[in-house]
Amino acid sequence: MTVLWPITLITFKEGIRNRAVYGISLLALLLFGANFLVAGMMPRNVGKVAVDFALSTISLSGILLVLFIGINLLAKDIDRRTIYMVLARPISRSQYIIGKFFGMCLLIIVTIGLLSILAALSIGSLKALYPNYFERFSWSMILLAVLFEMLMLIVLSALSFLFASFTSTSFITLVLTVITYIIGQSLADVKALVESPQAVGITVSPLTVKTVQTAYYVFPNLSLFDIKLQAAHGLALPFSLVLWTLSYGVIYGTLAIVLASLIFRKKEFP
Amino acid sequence: MIDIKGISKTYKEGLTARRVVAVENLDLHISTGEVFGFLGPNGAGKSTVIKVLLNLIFPDSGEATILDRNVRDKDVRKHVGYLPENPYFYDYLSVEELLWFGGKASGLGAGALKVRSSALIEKVNLAHARRRPLRSYSKGMVQRAGIALALIHDPDVVIFDEPMSGLDPIGRKMVGDLILELKSQGKTVFFSSHILTDIERFSDRVGIIVGGKLRLVDHLKNIITGSTTLEDIFLNEVKKAGGGLEA
Repeated sequence: MTVLWPITLITFKEGIRNRAVYGISLLALLLFGANFLVAGMMPRNVGKVAVDFALSTISLSGILLVLFIGINLLAKDIDRRTIYMVLARPISRSQYIIGKFFGMCLLIIVTIGLLSILAALSIGSLKALYPNYFERFSWSMILLAVLFEMLMLIVLSALSFLFASFTSTSFITLVLTVITYIIGQSLADVKALVESPQAVGITVSPLTVKTVQTAYYVFPNLSLFDIKLQAAHGLALPFSLVLWTLSYGVIYGTLAIVLASLIFRKKEFP
Repeated sequence: MIDIKGISKTYKEGLTARRVVAVENLDLHISTGEVFGFLGPNGAGKSTVIKVLLNLIFPDSGEATILDRNVRDKDVRKHVGYLPENPYFYDYLSVEELLWFGGKASGLGAGALKVRSSALIEKVNLAHARRRPLRSYSKGMVQRAGIALALIHDPDVVIFDEPMSGLDPIGRKMVGDLILELKSQGKTVFFSSHILTDIERFSDRVGIIVGGKLRLVDHLKNIITGSTTLEDIFLNEVKKAGGGLEA
């Protein structure tokens, strides 16, 4: 841990001071402001829209954070050979990957945490303005939705680290991460569709079903972490589902990082 | 101190993954307290040898040790300071934070780190910019920050890859004085350069590498005799290796 902490801290500092963070925060601030306008336009659904809009803003900011700052934190180290100054220390390649990943996790937790405070202010203000339209409302579900969002971003970051461990440029890492995000968000729906095609009156070949089922177990099911709808409607989640989602995220993220560090151990930096 | 035994390294190049020999069967021994100048034209294999010593790349065959420990052992790097050629650091960190990282990662205690960090920042003349982000530094300032980082943990072995690169005459003098100071402290210095005067001024022994092969290793006083200059010797070695240069 004594070796990991310096890597974690410089990764966090390098990430949080990136000008792109200010841009993302400004965008989030504008969207939280827009929440008043959008929610106010739907009087009967103010509560649901306010929560959904605020959580979606956190989601969008988080994705931008991972794609435009997180990926560069590792991939640019390799691109620009900054990694030399780290690996010239008594630090193994595995420790480097884990330290970097912890730094990225810290960046996600702090940034999303701060954005969540702004989101809460935006929701709280609307609740004070329109108290009658917040009947089914739950702060704990909003908090859970934010925690799940953080976990999803951490899983996605772990995958971007895995991609960076075997690709040669940050651009390829970015492309692979975006593809994984898109697949991860839609795979559960696609699987449900190809497994019950008669429900929508289509036919699907057995090969397609097998391919989608295989992909379902390879790619992360990121839609699992998306509980914005439940939070907006104030619907509680069964405890077992919460526990399963948390375990899934932690296990998937850990496996991705372990695999990344195993690949990284063999990597050379000419 | 530094022992390299039969190291060979090839790289894959281009779409066809054609193998290019970077270093071939290289043997080298550098003793404690010695300043060793590693000389060679561009692409001769100097940086490859240095990267093997830092475990940044792995040799195809052969073995390298520092202080009798294989360079694959990460703990050996507690005793090694390294300045890469054209170093890049984190854009948004200051030199103070960079040195904090270097010291902490090398196991330096908080008190010693503070004292050493301040002294080194003064020594490399970056006191006026100690809190500025490194992205605002000139090339020479980055190079000097890199030198401070290489020395923050008071290493026994210092490896500089082209330390004078990007420095103005004042910066070059500072690095030269630093190498001599390290020598007076009994440190082992291994530095690469293709600037002959730098090698001549600071080295006890010199090694000339051309085309991945070590062509000559000797004390400067043994090879520079009479009217023969280091330039003559270097060009002759390049010519012998088929470099096509006229001495």
